[in-house]
Amino acid sequence: MSLPGSCCGTRSAMEHASPHPIMVFSVLLVWLVALPAWGDEPSAIQRGKAVLQAAGGCSCHTDDKRSGAFLAGGRPIKTPFGTVYSTNITPAPKTGIGTWSDTDFLKAMTQGVGPDGVHYFPVFPYTSFTRMTERDVQDLQAYLFSVPPVEHANKPTELRFPFSWRAGLVVWKWLNFQPGTLQPRPDQSAEWNRGAYLATALGHCVQCHTPRNLLGGLRAKMAYAGSADGPEGELAPNITPDEATGIGTWSVADIVWFLQTGFKPNGDDTQGLMSVVIENGFKHLPEEDLRAIAVYLRTLPPIRNKVVKKDK
Amino acid sequence: MTRVQRTMWGCLVVLVCLGFSLAVAQAQEDEAFIQYRQKVMASNGASMGAIGDILKNKLPYQGHILIHAQDIQRMSTAIPDAFKKESAAGETDAKPEIWKEWDKFTAAAEAMGKEAAELAQVAQSGNMEAIGAQVKKLGEACSNCHKPYRKPKEESYKNKP
Repeated sequence: MSLPGSCCGTRSAMEHASPHPIMVFSVLLVWLVALPAWGDEPSAIQRGKAVLQAAGGCSCHTDDKRSGAFLAGGRPIKTPFGTVYSTNITPAPKTGIGTWSDTDFLKAMTQGVGPDGVHYFPVFPYTSFTRMTERDVQDLQAYLFSVPPVEHANKPTELRFPFSWRAGLVVWKWLNFQPGTLQPRPDQSAEWNRGAYLATALGHCVQCHTPRNLLGGLRAKMAYAGSADGPEGELAPNITPDEATGIGTWSVADIVWFLQTGFKPNGDDTQGLMSVVIENGFKHLPEEDLRAIAVYLRTLPPIRNKVVKKDK
Repeated sequence: MTRVQRTMWGCLVVLVCLGFSLAVAQAQEDEAFIQYRQKVMASNGASMGAIGDILKNKLPYQGHILIHAQDIQRMSTAIPDAFKKESAAGETDAKPEIWKEWDKFTAAAEAMGKEAAELAQVAQSGNMEAIGAQVKKLGEACSNCHKPYRKPKEESYKNKP
C-alpha cells in the first residue's frame, strides 16, 4: 500500500535520516486500530472485572438503596443474628483497602482474616472465596485498586451476643470452614469443572440458597435447597434440580437465559437481590461461562424442599 | 328497656349487618377486579416467555417475535384501566404504592409499551443481535415497574405452605 507523500519502491524509509512523519503517523494509526484485536489477552484489571462480575458484582459492597458509591460499603445486611454493614473495598487509603498488601488481600479473601488479624463474620462469604485460584484473587485485587477510591468509614456490626463475639469465630471456622483452592474433578468434563468453579468459588450461590443452622453454618444436606430467611430477610428459592420444588423443569438454555435477563421460563422476571446480582454480575458473563454454571447446577442432587415465606 | 331504646338497638343491629354484607360484597367485587388485572399481566408474561423461548432455544419462529411484541404493546394500554380500582388487600401482589404514585405507575406502563413498540419495529429487521438487545430493554421496562409496585414472587400470597 502506498502512502501519500511517501516514496514507494525506490527508497525505503530506513534510508531517511529520521522517520518520515507520515510513516510515524501511519504506524501509530495501525497500532491504534490493531490494539483492540490485541485485546485477546486481557489485562489483570479486565480479568479482575470479570471475576467481580462472576461473584455477582460484589453487590453487597454497594449500598444501592441509599445511592451509596460503588463498592464503598455501608449496605445493611440483615441476618437472623443481627445486622452487618458491608465494608468499603474501594482503594481509599483511610477507610478503604488502599493500604492493603497483596498478602493482606489474599488472606482476607481466602482465610477470612483481616490485616489486623481479626476474623471476619461469615456474612462475608470467604468460605466460598477460599476456593478461588490465587491468580483470580490477584486479578480481582487489581480491578478493585482501579475503581474510584471513596472515603466512607465502615459501620460497626450490630450483631446480638454471643454472635458479636469475634473470638467465637475461631470455633465457628473450625466447625464450618474448609480453606483451600477448588480442585478440578478428573472424572468430569472441562465444562462441568468450569461451572463448579464459577458457582462454588465465585458465584457463591450456596450462601444465599441454603438454609443455615442455629450457629449460622450452612446445612450441608440442604445445599441449594432454598432458604426462607436469606440475606436481608429475602426468600431464596430452591435451585436444586427437583422438579416439584426446585428448578428441575428448567433446561440449560432456561438457566442461561435467566442469568442473562432475569426472566424465568414462565415469562416472569425476578426481583429483589437476585435481580441485583444479575444486573451487576451474571448478565455480563460470556455465554459459555453461564452454560457451564447451568450444566453444573443441573448435576446437583435434587432436594425436595418447598420454601415458603415466613410470617414476618 | 324502653320502646325507644329497643328500636335504637334494633336499628344498630340492622346497620351492622348491612355494613358487614356490604363489606363482603365489596371484597367479592374487588376479587373480580384483581383476577382480571392478573390476567392482563399474565398475558404479558406469556408473550415475554414466548419471545424468550424463541431466542434461548433458537426456535424457527423469528417472525412471531413481531406478533408477541405487538401483543405486549397493545396490552400495555389496558394496564392503567385494569389497575384503576384500588385494592392491595387480599389475594394480590399489588403494592399500595401503585395508587399512591399513580402517575409514576402509569408512566412505567407507558414506557413498557414504548419498548414493546420498538421491539415490533426491530423485529422486522431480522437482525438477531439488535432484536436480542431490544428484548433485554423490554425486559428491563417490565422490571422497572415490578420492582416498586409488585411484591416479589417469593413473598407472594401464592407462596403458602
